[in-house]
Amino acid sequence: MLKDEKRVESITLSGRESGRLANPDIRDEFGLETLDMNMGPQHPAMHGLLRLILELDGETVVRCDPVMGYLHRCQEKIAENRMYPAVIPLTDRLDYFANMHNEHGYVLAVEDLLDVEIPPRAEYIRVLMCELMRLASHIPSLGFLMLELGAFTPILYCFRERERIQTIFEAVTGARMMFHYIRIGGVKADLPPDIPQKIWDYIEGLEQRFQSDFVDLIQGNEIFISRTRGVGTMSQEKALEMGLTGPPLRCTGVDFDIRRDYPYSIYPELEFDVITDQAGDVEASYRVRIAEALQSIRLIKQCLEKMPEGEVMGDLGRRLRPAEGDGFGRVESPRGEFSVHVVSDGSDTPYRVHYRDPSFCNMQLLQEVIPGHYLPDIMPIMGLIDPVSGGWDK
Amino acid sequence: MAVTLPEGDLQTRLESYLDGFKNRHGLEESVVEGNVVRVAVEPGFVPAVLATAREALGIMHLAFITVVDRMGSFEVHYELLDLRGGIVRVKTTIQGEEPVIDTVTNIYPTANWHEREAYDMFGVAFKGHPDLRRTYMWQDHFDHHPLLKSFEISTRRTFEGLR
Repeated sequence: MLKDEKRVESITLSGRESGRLANPDIRDEFGLETLDMNMGPQHPAMHGLLRLILELDGETVVRCDPVMGYLHRCQEKIAENRMYPAVIPLTDRLDYFANMHNEHGYVLAVEDLLDVEIPPRAEYIRVLMCELMRLASHIPSLGFLMLELGAFTPILYCFRERERIQTIFEAVTGARMMFHYIRIGGVKADLPPDIPQKIWDYIEGLEQRFQSDFVDLIQGNEIFISRTRGVGTMSQEKALEMGLTGPPLRCTGVDFDIRRDYPYSIYPELEFDVITDQAGDVEASYRVRIAEALQSIRLIKQCLEKMPEGEVMGDLGRRLRPAEGDGFGRVESPRGEFSVHVVSDGSDTPYRVHYRDPSFCNMQLLQEVIPGHYLPDIMPIMGLIDPVSGGWDK
Repeated sequence: MAVTLPEGDLQTRLESYLDGFKNRHGLEESVVEGNVVRVAVEPGFVPAVLATAREALGIMHLAFITVVDRMGSFEVHYELLDLRGGIVRVKTTIQGEEPVIDTVTNIYPTANWHEREAYDMFGVAFKGHPDLRRTYMWQDHFDHHPLLKSFEISTRRTFEGLR
């Protein structure tokens, strides 16, 4: 049994004293109280295993409290007990819609400790794969948003594209989702000889289909506009205060992209625009994602054109023992800033690995933005943030 | 209303951050390395230093908070970005087995969940935090902090008092 004071402390800490009992003044004019409701973790429309404790006044939400941990695997602890290269396949399981970005972030952090030189061809292949991954994440996220609004057709188009990108990944890495492709010092293997042409053909085709399948089908739709315009609106101050990054921040108009402002890999050599929008609502985040997917297509074309010949793996020892110190890696994942902090103590396993996952940080927005909205607006707002359960639960 | 982000040359901006920290808090050990300003402070001064960063120097974004268990002491890293290429890394060391530090949620509201996570994983108590409860682990009857080095992963953990 817990000691009494500990139990009292834990009840206070779990927030049961907040909400309805703490705020009796949210009763309406008829003296009716609010209703507590659980949404998830097993909810057919929920993005993964998330539980929202909602307090409803009629159909309006007055308090929203996200509860996480249903998919927690304590990856940071597991990583402390594995050798440096053996952590890479674990990072694939973090945000499973941005596996390449997770690998890239972790590998950049370890390379920061090691100070190795990466062959230029490997850098180009990394960026090529990351941008394909961004396409394979942004396009389905539009489909999920539409699915939550009750439209089933767009997700079929979106998953057709994701399926084809996964086929490319399968040819390059041997796996469809859990790649283990980006390694410390380079990448696992060179591209198969026919793959650059296949990627080029696919990207050309996607560019032609893009307008009709993802813009014309969705953007002018009356139901889409009425469900998303003005929903989840936030100011730039609020977005920065809540630590948002990625499309949710850029849809408010803050011009920030890790690829341009904290450049890594070969991004300084490539041309692309940072997409912003002013409205800061769900519709704006949709427009930002659409335009970013087009920028990814542009980046993929540049990578294929400029890709140099040569080795794809740097010269490293078999057993990595980085010097004592801190290594940082920071990449722009489709959801925002993915940072890794690796602490080394000079042995062959990391002393501490910390992931800053964009899904986790962006979800703080739910507490701030959902109160005041109707219950059915929660799902479009989840589509604005587009969190992934493996990401926020580590 | 639009937010103004810092402008101008990166090096002069980093020097101005360094001067700001030195003038206000006398942190003589701070240095500029590449695009990073490294600041080491005593745990009691963390809110003051971060308030300087946010209010006076205009660094808007707290990226993350990392806690490192050094077995006997705890390191806490705060990573601040000015969103235009500059990084400020504030590092502090808390002595003792039961770490307590002041919260920074009133300066950077995004620290809320980062501090909750640190409390959950390491048992670091953030004084003045509005809502300090566990993020990932069970709210009740679970009395462990999994990322402590004293927590061995092969041991089976029990839920005290729960049937």
